[in-house]
Amino acid sequence: MPMIYLSLSVETMRMNVLLVEDDKQVGDFIVTELTAVGHCCVHELDGSAGLLAAQNATFDVMVIDRMMPRMDGLALINALRDAGDNTPVIILSALGEVDDRVQGLHCGADDYLVKPFAMPELLARLEVLHRRVSATVGESETTLVVADLSMDLLRQHVQRQTATVTLQPREYKLLEYLMRHAGQVVTRAMLLEQVWGYHFDPQTNVIDVHVSRLRQKIDKGFDHALLSTVRGKGYRLGPKLDD
Amino acid sequence: MKTREVVSSLTFRGIVTYVTALSATVFLLLGAFYLYFSYTSFRALGESVMSELETLELVYSEQSLAGVTEYIDDQLASSSIHRFYYLVTDVEGIKVAGDLSARPSYREFDDGWLGFELALQDWGQSIDVEFLAYPMLLGDGYEVMVARDYADIVDRAELVFTTLFRFLIATLILGVIGGFFSAARTLDRIERLNLDVSRMIRGGASERLQVEQEKGYIRVLAMFMNQMLEQIETLMQGVRRVSDNIAHDLRTPLTRMRNDLSQLRDRSNQEEGGQLERIIDECDELLSSFNALLRISTLESGSRLAGGSDIELQALLQDVVELYEPVAEEKNIELALNAPRSQVCKGDVDLLFQMFANVLDNAIKYTQPDGYIRVQMGLKMAADGNSRHSIVISDSGPGIAFSERDSVFRRFYRVESSRGEQPGHGLGLSLVQAIAHYHYGSVELSNNNPGLQVRVDLP
Repeated sequence: MPMIYLSLSVETMRMNVLLVEDDKQVGDFIVTELTAVGHCCVHELDGSAGLLAAQNATFDVMVIDRMMPRMDGLALINALRDAGDNTPVIILSALGEVDDRVQGLHCGADDYLVKPFAMPELLARLEVLHRRVSATVGESETTLVVADLSMDLLRQHVQRQTATVTLQPREYKLLEYLMRHAGQVVTRAMLLEQVWGYHFDPQTNVIDVHVSRLRQKIDKGFDHALLSTVRGKGYRLGPKLDD
Repeated sequence: MKTREVVSSLTFRGIVTYVTALSATVFLLLGAFYLYFSYTSFRALGESVMSELETLELVYSEQSLAGVTEYIDDQLASSSIHRFYYLVTDVEGIKVAGDLSARPSYREFDDGWLGFELALQDWGQSIDVEFLAYPMLLGDGYEVMVARDYADIVDRAELVFTTLFRFLIATLILGVIGGFFSAARTLDRIERLNLDVSRMIRGGASERLQVEQEKGYIRVLAMFMNQMLEQIETLMQGVRRVSDNIAHDLRTPLTRMRNDLSQLRDRSNQEEGGQLERIIDECDELLSSFNALLRISTLESGSRLAGGSDIELQALLQDVVELYEPVAEEKNIELALNAPRSQVCKGDVDLLFQMFANVLDNAIKYTQPDGYIRVQMGLKMAADGNSRHSIVISDSGPGIAFSERDSVFRRFYRVESSRGEQPGHGLGLSLVQAIAHYHYGSVELSNNNPGLQVRVDLP
């Protein structure tokens, strides 16, 4: 049985990021933030310069603004995909309507973030995208393991240490998503999009309630908690970093 | 076109009034003509009697009584239908010539004219015929009277009168029928304008009246209305652009501030961190208000849903209910979904989800612990014969007073009693309405006795 032990060093995993953003201020801010957490960032100010940079070097992820001079974001992504470059791309855009999202994702982007955005949201999404590529093998695995928590994808069976954890279907999907992104911070918006499949703005803390229910089931009665809330950012599944 | 509407229409009434007035005028004119016609006919008759008398006088003066008798016999021999009748009497009043037997009883008119009735033999039947007569002294005590029946004149006058009357009736009938059709046509055009305008009220601010189809004044009216709409739209867009710009321009610096604050928090100690955390939450709330405001504006400003994908409402509602179930459970509220049938509508799945989530979120917020919330979906027949999806979310909460039911859809409006008690920015229901309208649907609030019933209708 193929088994993958998901690396927990992901927080420190370095990413090589290409940022194509015509707004100098926003661009500089993103660069500062990304370098502050240890990532490498190349910043280009327009579409054609971005394409050139992408052709000359290899990046782990790209952050591309949608509306730019010379070559807009969508055209840039099209050009990249046509050239066989499958580097994950996240679009930044002030256009936030559903049609715009669909259009963006349709042309080959992997995620879509509406401006203005909170930095943790971008960071979390970048890390998830990066991980998706570096662990593509994850699609075919049959068991997910995070510390002493394991999930058998074939039998849909979850177990912590020796105790079986009984989950509702949605809780199961939620846990699966968290386990696939163990060690990473996932935001509430990401959970809504990925686990519930809807892109909307909950007025209240609905997600918190779901997560705390799940926490009850997997953490209660164990000496160390796996599912933690990261204030102002989201949630993280995995042993405490300072453990 | 509905007959009743046409008959009660202003145009039709106007035309009927006009036709009536016209007929009355025509009738008066024709009446005058009738009087003139009768007068001249009788005058002609009188003159002919007088000239006959003159002839008789002439004959008497030349050939005395024998000549008169001969003349009268000559005249009687000629058999014209309308002829003169004669009577010549002597001093004692004894008939000496003529075809009238003695003097009949008569009425005296002005100017020496006499009138009497006499039974004439006509095809073996005796018919009463009216005569006009004029007597004249010939001399030597002889007196002659010439009479003429005037039934033919009366007949002719009557004929004229009936013709006129029939003509009048025909004018009236034709006028009213014509009026009906012309009113129907006008109403038809106005109805078309009405339809256009009601379509515009329902949301298409960018729609215009169809000028090409109209003619004359209605065309001018439509053109003016279009100009007016143009101005209104420009104004509305202006206002909206300003508020959008404000929201947009405030959003960016606010986000930057939030990001700076979160950087600051990461570097700060426990106590400061807590404070910063509260400021960040505050920022997040402001941002979400701005986002909601922008979304409402975008939904309301643009055109409505075009196309859209097929949405399984049953599955969508199940997802919404499932998402909110744990929250309801925390307050021990019973949340039940009753959507027995699979119903598909065209729409934007994320927006519809947002709409039901907002309604459910409100319901849970305002329903006290141990209450209930029911979500029910069914089909409803609309007035136009099409069925509409009807989703009713009812709760056992405090409800909304009747006077406030329209206001709660206004942006930033919050029911007074909930202000400060419940979190929220007063945009939830505005967004619900904007989304429903965007999907050509509607939202209605009603009393659930007790509680609130929110009914969303979607095509």
